[in-house]
Amino acid sequence: MKVLKMDIRGQICPSSLLLVLREMNLHHQELVRGNLSIEVLTDNRDATGTIPDAVRNMGIEAFVEKMDGYYRITTKQQSD
Amino acid sequence: MDFSVWVVMSGLLVIGLTAGVLMHRSDFCMAGAFRDVFLFNSYKHIRPLVLLLTLSALMFELCRLAGVLPTYPFSWFAPPSGVNIFGGMVFGLGMVLAGGCVVGVLYKMGGGNLMALFAFLGLLVGSALYAEIHTWWIPLAKQTNFSTEAITLPQWLRVSSTVPVLLLVSLGGFLCWRWQQTELWVNRNTAEGFIPLWFTGIGLAVLGVLTVLLCGVPMGVSTSYAKGAALLELWIIPDHLANLPYFMATPVHYALPIDGVLRSGGAGPNFDIVAIVQAPLILGIVGGAWLSAHLLGEFRVIWKVPLNQVIMVFSGGVIMALGARISPGCNVWHLWGGLPLLTIQSVLFVIGLVPGAWLGGIVLQRILISDVPLKRINS
Repeated sequence: MKVLKMDIRGQICPSSLLLVLREMNLHHQELVRGNLSIEVLTDNRDATGTIPDAVRNMGIEAFVEKMDGYYRITTKQQSD
Repeated sequence: MDFSVWVVMSGLLVIGLTAGVLMHRSDFCMAGAFRDVFLFNSYKHIRPLVLLLTLSALMFELCRLAGVLPTYPFSWFAPPSGVNIFGGMVFGLGMVLAGGCVVGVLYKMGGGNLMALFAFLGLLVGSALYAEIHTWWIPLAKQTNFSTEAITLPQWLRVSSTVPVLLLVSLGGFLCWRWQQTELWVNRNTAEGFIPLWFTGIGLAVLGVLTVLLCGVPMGVSTSYAKGAALLELWIIPDHLANLPYFMATPVHYALPIDGVLRSGGAGPNFDIVAIVQAPLILGIVGGAWLSAHLLGEFRVIWKVPLNQVIMVFSGGVIMALGARISPGCNVWHLWGGLPLLTIQSVLFVIGLVPGAWLGGIVLQRILISDVPLKRINS
């Protein structure tokens, strides 16, 4: 499975959500088929709620992990 | 410095620290509240703002009825003017582009966000720019004054404030109850140490009332950005500063409830009544957010940031400062202090703020990303 990595740390809010939505729309079919996963690195605390919400509304699961001073949000197809 | 001033400033510093921790933990972003309604059809951050407004209106009215409100309406509010709407619009555009309002910039900066520092610098520059146009702007602004001396809507309608405030509280209370029934208060944020937005809404409402009881005026910080700009000019171009009436004037004459001593103040680079009531809040909010971020191990300054975003947030800060000076007053002053009392200036400011935030959302999206077919979050 391909992994699309996005490092959005330090960027203005709501860059995280806007950029993830763009990639979700561009690669929707691949994400739904489970061929692609998106990995987002963000230091925006609000994004740990908004990104998973947006991703789940598209039928895809999202997981949030606390890293060293930031968060990693990973999408995964629900049937996996 | 008088002991009473120490007491007031210490109390405000504690209030600011608490507000800083709460806002950082919840990411209580008022710029995002208005922006996300238009950008994502999301009301997530508007809800706690409605809760804050409702509780503030109820508590201020109860304090007024109990006779413990130092002044009613609050000092420093004036009769309405057309520039209140225009200033709100400019402010709304600026705060969205800056990525935070005048306090949002403070807690984000305290949390280690470099972008917020650029917005902060923009606020200083915008305040300095306003000082250059002040003498030209004021006569123009006076032409838009409404023909009323009333400061609040109840005064304008010649009714007791209790009935309109109760109507406002009933409407806000009903909305909050409906959101509770439909589980829209449920926290889905997984950040470590996250404090639910409803809790922070309640906390900030209580802190707002404590601020008024302590110093007699609601929370406000924007004039201190002008004082910061004046301090810089005093250091770099003192002769020019001395020729700017905006920085030399002391239009505020006010007595703290604790000692009743009349003090003057303004936007100049002096330690005056404006500095007494605003500086501790600013230091507290930055310090509280810094403390919160450190305790969570999340204080990290990311130095590599996109240049277009740096330009955008700096410009947003400049525009926001101009809006705050034109209106006059910032979103915190009007939303947390004026609107709960149905102050006409604040109502007009919010009427302007909404389309300003809408416009800001359009510009922000075009700058950040131009080809996003947005899908709705439905939260």
